[in-house]
Amino acid sequence: MMENNFNRRDFLKVMGWGGAAVTLTGCGFTSVEDGREVVTSYVEPPEYALPGISVYFNSTCAQCDAGCSVSGRVREGRVLKLEGNTASAINRGKMCGLGQAGVQAHYNPDRVREPLLKGKAISWEEALGLIDGKLKAVKGEEVAFLTGGLSGHVKVMFKNYMDTLGGANHFVYEAASPAVVRASNKKAYGVSMPRLHLDKAKVVMSFGADFLGSWVSPVHFSQQYAAFRKGNRPEGRGVLVQIEPKMTLTGANADRWIPANPGSEGVLALGIINALGKAGLSIPADIAGLTRDYGVDRVSKETGVSVEQINKLAGLLKERTPSLVLVGDAAEGYLHGSQNAAAIALLNRVLGNIGKTIDAPANVPFPQVAPTVGSRSAVKALNDKLTSGKVQVLFTYAANPVFSAPSVLKFKDNLQKVPFKVALAHYMDETAVEADLVLPLDSALEDWGTGVPEYLAEGAQLNIQQPLMEKLYSGTRGVGDILLALLKQRRANEYKGYEDFYSYLRHSLVSIKGVLGGSGKDDDIFWAETLSQGLVKLSGNNGSLAAKANAAGLNLPAPAAEDSNYPLRLIPSVTASMRDGRNANQPWLQESPDPLTTIVWDSWVEIHPKTAARLGIVEGDIIEVASRNGAIKAQAYLFPGIHPDAISIPLGYGHEAMGRYAKNVGANAFAILDQAVDKETGELAMNETRVKLSKVGKRIIVTKEEGPAGGMQMGKKIAVRVASDKVNLSEEI
Amino acid sequence: MSVTNLLENWSTFRHFHPVDDKPHEQYKWAMAINLDACTGCNACSVACYAENNIAVVGKDKYAHGQTMHWMRIERYWDEDGREFPDQGAQFLPMMCQQCEAAPCETVCPVGATNHTADGLNSQVYNRCIGSRYCSANCPFKVRYFNWYDYPDQEKVWPEPLPQQLNPDLTVRTKGVMEKCTFCVQRLTAAKSDARNEGRSVRDGDVQTACQQACPAGAISFGNLVDPQSKIAKQWEKQRVELAAHDEQEKDKEGSELRGYRIFEELRAYPSVMYLERVRESAV
Amino acid sequence: MERDIREDIAWAKINTDVLKSLESPRRLYWVIVFVAMLIFSIGIGCEVYQYNVGLGVANMDNPHVWGLYIATFIFWIGMSHSGTLLSAILLLMGADWRKPIYRFAEAMTTFSLMTAGLFVMVHLGRLWQVYYALPYPNERGVWPNFQSPLLWDAMAIFTYLSSSVLFLFIGMIPDLAICRDHLHPGWRKKLYTLLSLGWEGTDRQWRNFRVAYVTVACFLIPLAVSVHSIVASDFAMSQQPGWHVTSFPPYFVAGALYSGCAAIITLFIILRYVFKFEDYMTLPILKKIARLTFAIAMVWTYLNAVEFASVWYSHDQASKDVLIQKATGPYAPFWWMMNFCGSVVPLVLAFKRFQTSIPVLFAVSLLLNLGMWLERWMIVAPTFSHGYYPWTWDHDQWPSLVQWGMVFGSFGWFTLLFMVFCKVFPSVSMYEVKEMVYHRKMALENKTEGAH
Repeated sequence: MMENNFNRRDFLKVMGWGGAAVTLTGCGFTSVEDGREVVTSYVEPPEYALPGISVYFNSTCAQCDAGCSVSGRVREGRVLKLEGNTASAINRGKMCGLGQAGVQAHYNPDRVREPLLKGKAISWEEALGLIDGKLKAVKGEEVAFLTGGLSGHVKVMFKNYMDTLGGANHFVYEAASPAVVRASNKKAYGVSMPRLHLDKAKVVMSFGADFLGSWVSPVHFSQQYAAFRKGNRPEGRGVLVQIEPKMTLTGANADRWIPANPGSEGVLALGIINALGKAGLSIPADIAGLTRDYGVDRVSKETGVSVEQINKLAGLLKERTPSLVLVGDAAEGYLHGSQNAAAIALLNRVLGNIGKTIDAPANVPFPQVAPTVGSRSAVKALNDKLTSGKVQVLFTYAANPVFSAPSVLKFKDNLQKVPFKVALAHYMDETAVEADLVLPLDSALEDWGTGVPEYLAEGAQLNIQQPLMEKLYSGTRGVGDILLALLKQRRANEYKGYEDFYSYLRHSLVSIKGVLGGSGKDDDIFWAETLSQGLVKLSGNNGSLAAKANAAGLNLPAPAAEDSNYPLRLIPSVTASMRDGRNANQPWLQESPDPLTTIVWDSWVEIHPKTAARLGIVEGDIIEVASRNGAIKAQAYLFPGIHPDAISIPLGYGHEAMGRYAKNVGANAFAILDQAVDKETGELAMNETRVKLSKVGKRIIVTKEEGPAGGMQMGKKIAVRVASDKVNLSEEI
Repeated sequence: MSVTNLLENWSTFRHFHPVDDKPHEQYKWAMAINLDACTGCNACSVACYAENNIAVVGKDKYAHGQTMHWMRIERYWDEDGREFPDQGAQFLPMMCQQCEAAPCETVCPVGATNHTADGLNSQVYNRCIGSRYCSANCPFKVRYFNWYDYPDQEKVWPEPLPQQLNPDLTVRTKGVMEKCTFCVQRLTAAKSDARNEGRSVRDGDVQTACQQACPAGAISFGNLVDPQSKIAKQWEKQRVELAAHDEQEKDKEGSELRGYRIFEELRAYPSVMYLERVRESAV
Repeated sequence: MERDIREDIAWAKINTDVLKSLESPRRLYWVIVFVAMLIFSIGIGCEVYQYNVGLGVANMDNPHVWGLYIATFIFWIGMSHSGTLLSAILLLMGADWRKPIYRFAEAMTTFSLMTAGLFVMVHLGRLWQVYYALPYPNERGVWPNFQSPLLWDAMAIFTYLSSSVLFLFIGMIPDLAICRDHLHPGWRKKLYTLLSLGWEGTDRQWRNFRVAYVTVACFLIPLAVSVHSIVASDFAMSQQPGWHVTSFPPYFVAGALYSGCAAIITLFIILRYVFKFEDYMTLPILKKIARLTFAIAMVWTYLNAVEFASVWYSHDQASKDVLIQKATGPYAPFWWMMNFCGSVVPLVLAFKRFQTSIPVLFAVSLLLNLGMWLERWMIVAPTFSHGYYPWTWDHDQWPSLVQWGMVFGSFGWFTLLFMVFCKVFPSVSMYEVKEMVYHRKMALENKTEGAH
């Protein structure tokens, strides 16, 4: 059929769920290009594209870095909805709201549709030629790349390209990432991201890890959480204790949410160890020595947690093992974040959880595709380099530092020192707006790629990303294709065998099919099966944990002194929908209420009612939140789930560009962060910004889902709660 | 058209309620939501937007209470006056409860909302004239009215967003009422497939969009008539009766069950059972 | 105090006086018509806007789906009860003081029903599909839902409207004949000729006329009571707190008669002044209406209290909450105003010297109707903002200018209809006033004779 058209531009070689090879014309009958509709008769419909019948294609969600496998519903050449792929151990057929909104990233009306040179459309040939020309004029070390976390074959392409340039600088930046926790895990367990078994734990004590909302792999952890809460598992219903100054989604689901004084998490952990020792648990000598000084009275004073509560927690942990102690954003975001994390990790060792609920992750057999994760310090490092004026050409991809770098870095100004900035972008976001050349990317549902998630649920797996439909715009290109074209400029011979990134990818995987479980299979069949499954399980031996958590070098600082000019602590919150703001232009996410405040389409300042009363603030007051490095204005929301000495503002809002749904919605909390860093890792300490509040004299009605009844049930039996000793869960279905 | 015809048509049209003398025959779709597993993450709600072509109304209209979210997550706080909500918040996904004796059905002047044979409270958009009486009489306030012609609104579905719309159901015009349908388009497809194979829909053949998405698996859905279905077992275990004439087992003294329906006392007989959220007594 | 209708008015003078109101209008008339049209066109403009953009412009929201439209609909239905009361009920009770005023009261009935009907229309989300609510024969066997009180409503109103028109028309036949005989040739003469159905005043005609008139009157009374009971069922048959009240039907009927009477006082005074009907619309008649109004006001107050009490002593916490909400929540000013206007203001009518004081009565009648309008609003709105489900409570819902515009416009529409009626048809029943004068005269003569 139609042999003359048979190339990837018009046809997508993809696989039906059934396992047979499919050729699907993406959207045979409509072309959205310049709004023109092409009516094609379905008298001879393309095979497997039955009008009115949906087919499902497996791919990988690109909305965050958790690497959930999705199954896209495609009808008449259009992708309609994403469902979870049940074959993936990470999400087992489930999806979060953020992932659901992936189709809106694809169909987003504000996508960049053609290469832009200083705002003017140019052709791809010109654009790539321009890059070639610029790069020829500079040295390798004068080129910098700022990317988000990378893995899979796109990472390989990036690396290859950087290698050809010779000495190019690669900065991997994630504005909201558990960077300190990774470092601390590495020290305590020998791996940066161990496997966690909430489902095997009787107690989960989380020091600010919002694993149900935004931390690492929320969909996976939500499933584990559901298993953990089952009353009919052998361990009985699990108990969740969340310790954090600002209630996250996870905190809202905890049996006990404890707003310990911000920064005192490590002290609390040591205090609990001390109390465990008092309760008769044997504590390793080095740890016992360290925790000797952390008696409950002192700890209670420093953390603000009552003596009774500390003893209760210790009692619970002693009685119910195994447990699992997690450390997350709320504990790591301090000058002593690493110390906090290290102290908390000791709890796991004391309680004997290592090896039981904390396990070694699978090794990724191919290190070249293993994930390179980002850090917050990367943007500081790049910024330093920019300041020195040594960068001549800058590529940005999957990162938006102009939006998310603290304004004190003056990143936007420093960017002007780079003569040639190339942004590989989906939207004209803040960084793309500053770029000289914008290369428009295919959406995640149009592009080819692979990925290895950082958090591996079971064995290692290589996720396949494949187009679910024909490209919406002919002017966009996949990131792999762009890199391949750039590589061909320099290593034409090496890459001449690959017509496009698709053929490169296919070749790469097919050539190692033996290792991927396809030995003996025909290439085409292996490839078709791989695409059909949407992921490849990588066989690799499990690594092992080195239980190194020890007290050496641990020294927690005294509680931070009051700052009378800036009396409150700003805790920027990473919400499940907005994260670092990269998905802010998806209207479903803007209209999906924040679970805790139920606010939509705006940012807000969470203030404890007590603090608000002291400052004379009521809900809807526009308040100015000023730090030493700037001020933003946002609406006040009185929120009982926050420490009275802290306020919280969600990240991800306040875009000045990006698109119609994101622009001018809310205020950007990144902007006022102090550039305080964790002493050991150099990571930006997110919770170290001190602020003061002042009313600007304007009051609005907060746009939120919650009504004036304010989350009260008014004595009606609507959402009912029962104490665990009043209910028999063991026989439930 | 004779009066006899009128009366006959009308009486069959009215008689789909599962009164004792006429129980459901093949299907009765029902749901159970485990509030102890629900984390309030909103995935179900977004999935519902994706599946059901729900309009995003934007900030102004949201502020005016003209939202269309068929599935809303409610967040409640304890009312015991503590300084901190130290037992967390309570989340409750709320959507049309598909009542068996639905208050909305009797009041619609044109019969645009009525009961289907498999126990759904259906909403016929074509028939709706927009009197909004159904919403006025809904105890749960889960019906959403199209105050505007959303498809025509500038920022609701600009090109190419309309390509995402699910062709299995309509985009609603201004002036009609809409609400959760238990993803009736999926049910219809599943029933049709089953009929082609000469069988009933098996448990697990069909999932609602919210159920499918829910990361914690808090939502179960199925056919209550089929005693082997998970949903029937759950209802049975919790002793929740669809058309209970007396109080449910749970409401009796010393019950250790946690299945309940909201506003049981109104006798609307909802098809959604909630399982109480559990909170550890030891901490 | 001014005298009652004099017994010595010549019949010819009655004809002249009343027919004078049909003559070429004075300037004031045109001014009123113009203003009424202006007000009405505001309403039209609002509806056109709403029709095109959607009901959202009325600023209702999802829990709060009904607003002023329904409240004003009930208000106008209530107004319509005055005509029936004065014509039919008092006719059967043989109260002859109704005679000079029943005609315009009946016209009021008809026109307020027509106004009320408009509100049902503008309230609909899809006005263009309104015919779905009619039980018209169709191929698919699709019928309206006969269980819905809203459908009963539509039927009751339609029946009531057609019966009212019939009643108004029958009662006018002898007068139309007079008009036919006295007016110069022109389109109106043709109209009267047509409408008077060949009335010649023969004995047989009079006999048939009386029978027909009384029959329709008997038919109309239960209808009037049922109409407002059915409107009450819209609420009482629902399951919502604050609506689900057994005493609603009599409460609504009392409210209806109440606002109807108050409206009669208002129009009485206006007509008396505009058409110089002092000889017929005399103060003693006004006094009687004022006393009637007072009586009904007390009935209404009683039923209102019954409603509060039955809610208060019930175990229905939700209904109690709604009541508390009405008295203390954001609607409280309106609710107290309603109670003040509905129960306190009418106490003025208990004083004899106010019963015939035109300025006081005028002011009181307007306040009473304001109170009655507020009553309807206070029945509709607070239940929405304080229903069963606390999550959806909404106090910030305030009707938009579009809603207010249409409420305002409805008064223009009503006035317009009424003004046209007054110029085309005799707004005082000539033949019955003659009867009245004759009866007085006979009574006087009998008295004089008896004195001999």
